[in-house]
This record gives sequence, C-alpha cells and structure tokens, in this order.
Amino acid sequence: MRFIKTKEKGIPENYLELHYDEIDDETREYISRIDKTLTHIEGTCDGMRVTVPVSDVLYFESVDRRTFAYTESRTVEFRTSLNKLLDSFGDIGFIRISKSAVVNVYKIDRLQGDLNMRVIIFLKNGEKLIMNRGYRKEFFEELERIRGKNKA
Amino acid sequence: MKLINRHNFLSLVCMSFTLIVCGKLLLEKLMGFTDRHYTENIFTCLAFSVMITAVLSLHYYLQSFPLIPVLIGQYLAIIGLVAGLVKLVDAVAGTTSDAMWQMLLSVTVPYVISAVIYYVSFFRQVKKANIILSELSEAE
Repeated sequence: MRFIKTKEKGIPENYLELHYDEIDDETREYISRIDKTLTHIEGTCDGMRVTVPVSDVLYFESVDRRTFAYTESRTVEFRTSLNKLLDSFGDIGFIRISKSAVVNVYKIDRLQGDLNMRVIIFLKNGEKLIMNRGYRKEFFEELERIRGKNKA
Repeated sequence: MKLINRHNFLSLVCMSFTLIVCGKLLLEKLMGFTDRHYTENIFTCLAFSVMITAVLSLHYYLQSFPLIPVLIGQYLAIIGLVAGLVKLVDAVAGTTSDAMWQMLLSVTVPYVISAVIYYVSFFRQVKKANIILSELSEAE
C-alpha cells in the first residue's frame, strides 16, 4: 500500500481519500486505525450536549467518580469509566498515567523526571500532569509499542 | 508492576552477591589485606544480599509515597537489622571492635551504588521516551 501526501493550498479542511480495487488486510488495518482516530465522543459541557473528536482530547481524568475529557478549548464530562476508555482508545495512543488519568501520547510535548522519580508530563498546550511511579513501566512499554506500530 | 518479584528474586540476589564479593576481593587486593575470616564473611555477604534484595522488593508496595523518604526508610530498616545482627553475634561469639563500622560500611556502599544505578536508569528511560515522543510528533 502506498501513502501519498499532497499539499493543497486553501482547502477548508484536511481530508484522506482511499483508492482501492479490493480492500486487503493491510488496508483494513489502516482503516480500523483511522476510524478510531476519527471517532467522536459525546458528553456535556456547560449543560449542553457536545461531541468532541477523540484525537482532540489531551487527557481524560476521573474526579469524584465523574470522567472528564480535556481538549485545548473545553472540558467535557461524560459517563464512561477510564477502564472502558482505555479498552476503546488504548490502541490509538491513550495510556494510563495514574489511577485517575489517561493521556493522549500524541499531545505530549516532553517528559521530565523529578528527584522522587515521578515523571512530569508537559502537554503541547503547556499543561503539566504527573505520572505515578507505578504506571511508569507500563507507559514506557506502551510508548515503545506505539513507535513499533507506527514504523510498521 | 513489581520490579523485584518471586521469579527474579534469586537471580537478583546472585547478581548483587557476585558484585559485592568481587568488590570485596578487589578492595582487598588493592589494600594488600588478607581476610582471616574469609568463609564467615562470604556467608555474611550472602545474607546481606538476601536482606537488601528483600527490603528493596518492598519498594513496589511503597510507591504511593515520595521516593526519597522511602529510600531513607528502607536504608534505616536495613541498618537497624544489621546493627541488631552484629549485637547478637557479639553477645554470642564476640566480634572485633570495628565490626559494627565494617558492617555498616558493607551495607551502605552497595545500597548507595544501587540507588545511583536506579536513578541513572530512570533518567535514561525518560530521555529515551522523549526521543520516541519527538519521533511521533515528526511523523504526525
């Protein structure tokens, strides 16, 4: 399968177009990945129902048994547990970093270790999150797996 | 996930025992010292290796606490055990006047070395993760 990137000036929205004769296993795999990435989640923000693309979510956090998704511009509350979120979106870059938070690796700017061996996660929007020591190994393994998958 | 579990406990004891004994032999060679209690000391090294690995394995259960107090607490626990052991042996069979100092040194040196290795491996892991993250950002 070939991947062709074409720069087009002035188009209103980026788009992907698939040209095929028959959908083989490799293409099917790419489609399933893209489908999940383009998935929207539905929740409430300021009392109004809203939908947010999963790929826009910086991180999910569970506070007082309520789950929130944080994007650059808003906070959306929805009725799904963090475990269910990981089941659904774990393979598109969401990794648990503490008992109450799941981060989108594609929204991480950099990591920094502190003296207590906790990892400080700097997000691309400037926010900081703390990764507990207990989730570090799992996080790094998952990061390696994502890199391997992206190289494949 | 446990760093030290029942599957790797023995191999970690063997590794630390080998490193401690090699260090002891090298130090003795450099100082031109002949150990008159070689057999007893080798078994003491083994006992320490088991004890230190056992204390470090508790690290998993203490991860919700800040690391530095945990490391200091673990060190104090080992030192307490060692001091008790030396006192016991002294009461039963008698020890040399600097036995306590020697034993404390025998625990402190490998403990500090292990802590340094642990820290270095952590910061290397973070550095490697940052490389992966920048690769992912470039691929986007």
